[in-house]
Amino acid sequence: MERNQLVSYIKNKFQDTVTLLESGKGESFFQIKPEDLLVFSRAIRDDERLGMDWLSCISGVDTGERFEVVYSVASVVNRIRFNYKLVLDYDKAEIESVQKIWPGANWHERELWELYGINVNNHGNLTRFLLPDNWDQGHPLRKDWDAPDFKRMPEK
Amino acid sequence: MGVIKKLPVYLEKIPGGNIVTTTLDYVFSQSRASSLWYLLFGTACCAIELMATGASRYDFDRLGMIFRASPRQSDLIIAAGTITKKMAPRLKLLYDQMAEPRYVIAMGGCTVSGGPFYYDSYAVEKGIDHIVPVDVYIPGCPPRPESLLEGCLTLQKRVKRMKIRDWS
Repeated sequence: MERNQLVSYIKNKFQDTVTLLESGKGESFFQIKPEDLLVFSRAIRDDERLGMDWLSCISGVDTGERFEVVYSVASVVNRIRFNYKLVLDYDKAEIESVQKIWPGANWHERELWELYGINVNNHGNLTRFLLPDNWDQGHPLRKDWDAPDFKRMPEK
Repeated sequence: MGVIKKLPVYLEKIPGGNIVTTTLDYVFSQSRASSLWYLLFGTACCAIELMATGASRYDFDRLGMIFRASPRQSDLIIAAGTITKKMAPRLKLLYDQMAEPRYVIAMGGCTVSGGPFYYDSYAVEKGIDHIVPVDVYIPGCPPRPESLLEGCLTLQKRVKRMKIRDWS
């Protein structure tokens, strides 16, 4: 499927769940509401023309005011890929686990929780992943994170 | 080693004993300096330069430096590459497993001071001298094989100056 076809197909099929953010030269970005995550993910995996069978990565973004969680999905069969993201409040940073849909999400979600402190419901094994085992300094990729030996790049 | 360590204490009281101790000093330090076997410890891109130095073009072997895969057989750690906070206890463990005398070369900016990861990094140890004592620092990102050879020659000079009475 061409990129234009893909964008219009998704816009038509999920018109009450997704908003199109970008479909320029790069990959297309959609935004969905956090409560639609499981339904939408299952729908794009089971859809015959999309068939997104591979969750290639989950990224976290801290803008300073809110969190964003970006899911990059691809279809090996249909050779397409796109991204969709959720916007979360700082106080209520939690998402549902998508392991039932893509089992490979397990490690991505552990990393997301460890580095951003975004809670993943129904994950099952939300434990220390990449940081040292005795780490006790919080979630280091947050904008407001600080530690005694941590130095920010000085402003010019 | 205990006997040899006490040699200078007794020998230097005897007239002419100095000749024995200085000769022993010479023999020991020369043989140590010419067979500095190093532990394979490449954690990042500096390891590429370390491999290049070990290969035929730069030929580490002519300095008597051969790589060992076990800390128990090696005299020297060339810490080639970024040491993260998670890796730091492992470096300490390997250093502790080596037999004395043991030496450490900090190769590349990351091991000297944190280098390119000095700012904005939560994971990188800012210099391995926080963990183990370092004999020679080699800056560069990564250092050319020539710099590494220079660093090893510097270490050899240092080893050659060692005397039996200084042994720990």
